[in-house]
Amino acid sequence: MTYFGYVKNDFKFKHIVNYVIVGAALILFTVLQLVGAIPRSTSYLLTQISYSIILSVSLNLVVGFLGELSLGHAGFMCAGAYIGCYFGGILSEYIGSKLLVLIISMLIGGIVAAVFGLIVGLPALRLKGDYLAIVTLAFGEIVRNLCKNVPWFGKSLGLSTKTYGVKLFIVGFAVILIMLILLQNLIRSKHGRAITAIRDNEIAARAMGINVTYYKLFVFVFSAFFAGVAGVLYGNYATPVLYSFFSYNYSIEILVMVVLGGMGNITGSIISATLITIANFILTTKLSGDLAAIKNLVYALILMVVVIFNNAPALQSFKEKFSFAALNDRLMEKKRAKNPEKFAADIRNDSAQWSRIPTKISMDEILSTDVVSNEGIRDEGDKPSAK
Amino acid sequence: MSTIIDGLSLGSIYALIALGYTMVYGIAKMLNFAHGDIIMIGAYALFTMMNLTGSPIVAIITAIVVCTLLGIVIEKVAYKPLRGASPLAVLITAIGVSYLLQSVAQIIYGAKARPVTLFSLGTVKFGEVTLSLSALVTLIVCAVIMVGLTLFVKCTKIGRAMVAVSEDKAAAQLMGVNVNNIISITFAIGSCLAAFAAVFYLLQISATSPTLGSMPGIKAFTAAVIGGIGSIPGAMIGGILLGLIEKLCQSVTALSPYTTAIEFGILILILLVKPTGLLGRKRREKV
Amino acid sequence: MKKFVKFVSAAMAVALAVVCFASCSSNQVFKKDTWNIGCTGPLTGDAASYGISVQKGATIAIEEINAAGGLNGYLFAFDMKDDKAEAADAATGYDTLFEAGMQVSLGSVTSGSCKSFAAKAAQDNVFFITPSASEEAVIQYGDNAFRVCFGDPDQGTLAADQIKADGYTNVGVIYETSSSYSAGVFDAFKAEAEKIGLEYKLATFDGENNKDFSSQVETLKDCDIFFMPFYYTEASLVAKAATAKGVNAVLFGVDGFDGIDAMFTKDDVINNKILYITPFDAESTDPTVSKFVAAYKAKYNETPDQFAADGYDSVMAIYNAMKKADVKDVNISASDLCNLLKAAITASDFSYTGATGTMTWATSGACTKVPQIKEMKR
Repeated sequence: MTYFGYVKNDFKFKHIVNYVIVGAALILFTVLQLVGAIPRSTSYLLTQISYSIILSVSLNLVVGFLGELSLGHAGFMCAGAYIGCYFGGILSEYIGSKLLVLIISMLIGGIVAAVFGLIVGLPALRLKGDYLAIVTLAFGEIVRNLCKNVPWFGKSLGLSTKTYGVKLFIVGFAVILIMLILLQNLIRSKHGRAITAIRDNEIAARAMGINVTYYKLFVFVFSAFFAGVAGVLYGNYATPVLYSFFSYNYSIEILVMVVLGGMGNITGSIISATLITIANFILTTKLSGDLAAIKNLVYALILMVVVIFNNAPALQSFKEKFSFAALNDRLMEKKRAKNPEKFAADIRNDSAQWSRIPTKISMDEILSTDVVSNEGIRDEGDKPSAK
Repeated sequence: MSTIIDGLSLGSIYALIALGYTMVYGIAKMLNFAHGDIIMIGAYALFTMMNLTGSPIVAIITAIVVCTLLGIVIEKVAYKPLRGASPLAVLITAIGVSYLLQSVAQIIYGAKARPVTLFSLGTVKFGEVTLSLSALVTLIVCAVIMVGLTLFVKCTKIGRAMVAVSEDKAAAQLMGVNVNNIISITFAIGSCLAAFAAVFYLLQISATSPTLGSMPGIKAFTAAVIGGIGSIPGAMIGGILLGLIEKLCQSVTALSPYTTAIEFGILILILLVKPTGLLGRKRREKV
Repeated sequence: MKKFVKFVSAAMAVALAVVCFASCSSNQVFKKDTWNIGCTGPLTGDAASYGISVQKGATIAIEEINAAGGLNGYLFAFDMKDDKAEAADAATGYDTLFEAGMQVSLGSVTSGSCKSFAAKAAQDNVFFITPSASEEAVIQYGDNAFRVCFGDPDQGTLAADQIKADGYTNVGVIYETSSSYSAGVFDAFKAEAEKIGLEYKLATFDGENNKDFSSQVETLKDCDIFFMPFYYTEASLVAKAATAKGVNAVLFGVDGFDGIDAMFTKDDVINNKILYITPFDAESTDPTVSKFVAAYKAKYNETPDQFAADGYDSVMAIYNAMKKADVKDVNISASDLCNLLKAAITASDFSYTGATGTMTWATSGACTKVPQIKEMKR
């Protein structure tokens, strides 16, 4: 069968849903921006959303697909922001086009961050779980500490940058699209399967002949690259680039986006990054003056309630009864009754639904093929590596 | 010489916090990011009681009670519903708790740093070196607590149940250990240690603010990892090592701005050589 | 799909909750028929105490002005957005304030975020007078930027001259490498010290993770005077560390020291003499100062620090400049108001006497006022 035939056979809406969401947002807001229909604060909010999405999706690759906990994502962003914007500032003296300068500085920032990603990836080969988490956190803090003491970067004054203006979000969304194309094709290729195999059982994956070293480093480099690009976007949005922004608290905030969106769920990451950024924006701008102190209180409460509601084992049965998912299931049941053969084929083609397997599949279940329901493969609350 | 003594006294605070961290991590297998903030609440409890009564003893007892109760409440409300869920979910509620405690403290006490003087122990002179007694006391208390905890874990029934839970929850349950209760008790002990940490933190650094807990919390986490998470003597060694490194860096003016980078760099080096920390046990992986 | 749907439902619930909450408590501070003053500052996080002090001081000024009937029959409205001392949040805060109808501003509280604020305000030509962002770059973005506090270099130069004049030869300096305020003052001190031939020993710390000052004190233990360009919280810890080590040097600070006396309890024993440069003295008997201090104490039950006094003076300076320019139209655009105020505040006959002394402004935006050296009393 030809390649296109394969693509046609394999076509499902969920594979392009992310492109549709981001593309639609890009076109819609670009048009609105050009006719001048959105206020300035909204277009800057869109910029914030765009770099949050880049950060959360790229972190999801490490946490959700490779299964390694990383708390140093803001460190990559920091390296990208400082170095990319520093060279951007130099370049802008030689190149007139702002867009070209931005693109080149994004590439520089991304590549520098990718180099740092490689450096962090090396300990990841030897360390596991929480030990790796503290190393990534430590690494992020080291990068931040060095950046704040480099004289070229303005030390404690921060690196003054030229801001790009209201149209920055268009570039941001374009970067998201490019990243999604690369990422989704990666995940659905054999390389993606290798990465998830490492997550599910590293030793088994190694035994199957997967080059674990290569893939781990590759994932760290890939994810760091886009964190660096996001850093440059940030630097073109806010001046000065100041070390204090990139503390481990920000890494944790990105992690929150990933976890709320669902591990290994790219659409989820996009949506949760958007919602959290909007929530933060609303809380910061509405709760001004004396009310500012309760802002974090509200944020913390929302965070806890959502996480407990989404994850608490005790609430599982309650939720399954009264959720859209239950409704969806009932509809599927009817559909299945109507055309059982087609449905069975669907399941078979779908057996590698990488994007929505929560965390872990045990080897037995993979070997028994034709995974029928999701229920059997829910995680038991263990780390992938602890097996 | 006096740098080393300063390092020891700072390290003993880190060690004390790291003991609480490592207890909770070793048994409940969760990174309790809110641990530093429990210390902060303990410090505010001390501040309030010192202003109300002026008696350090009353203040310390109150702080211990407040922290322990707070630890139990947090565990019941925020962590217990998530038992059996993914560890990352618990990590995030812990962060939520940390934000929550910080903003509550800011709402009640304001953002300004508040001075607290529990009691001053004065100094002793050994020849050239001036030694502050509070540093000495912190070190001794830290060592006593470490020995006490080790004995508690090794010799009491609850302690051994804790070890069992940390080794294998399911097997422990089969052997008749009430896993839920054991984890709750661990939290209570960890929070009680946080109150001690608050007392000794304030003895040396006599001011409290809503963000007091975050940096010592992260430093103690680092210390716990250096020592090997879950290992009680490891936490002590890690904390003291970290304090020494920090003070040695700061005493050299050229290195002082890079203190954080050096500390974390040493952490990474240690972990590269010994992936489970200095005293952490290696676990053979089974397929 | 199931997980996804579940997530969406939960996420929607959150979004709803947030929107609900936000709209319930949405405080429309700025109205059509008020003079709208906006600013950003850290109201949460590590630097929150500075932002909150400015907010309180400014509120006292607004209340005082409004109690006296406002300006030309219209009252003043004041809104402050939280920027966590971050550039990005200051930019967001600026945009929302500007769209809500901010006409004149206090800029930002901290230098880093004020630069972000100033870059945007320069584009829109919005007049601002910052209470406490002392870095030189803040007022260099445009001619719309002014400040109430001393610039960082002024204090460093002054301190070096003062220490030299007092005849100290064993000088020690501690500064905070992670703070632009501290580094800015130190750089000027260093330059002046080289010029006048003052030698000093140096120790540094990183404010983000350093609360224990024993090694800095140890490094400088032979000095007779410590120059310490940073804020009172850290300064009080240095004083305690020095006393604990038996070091009896004089501690010489800058305007950030103001409020240090509140950092010692009655049980604390401090053997060091603490001196600092400040434009503000809460114990002063000057009627303007004592009126402000009394109003502040009555409302907030605490002694105002220098940030509060600067916040008060910023608002009052704007009020006085507007009075001088005799602005009548309450719906005047920010840019038009800016041009009027720029002319008014830099006029040679304009001066304002407030809680931090008598001030005049140059076209550069810098403020001239007389510093005094105060000794901490307990």
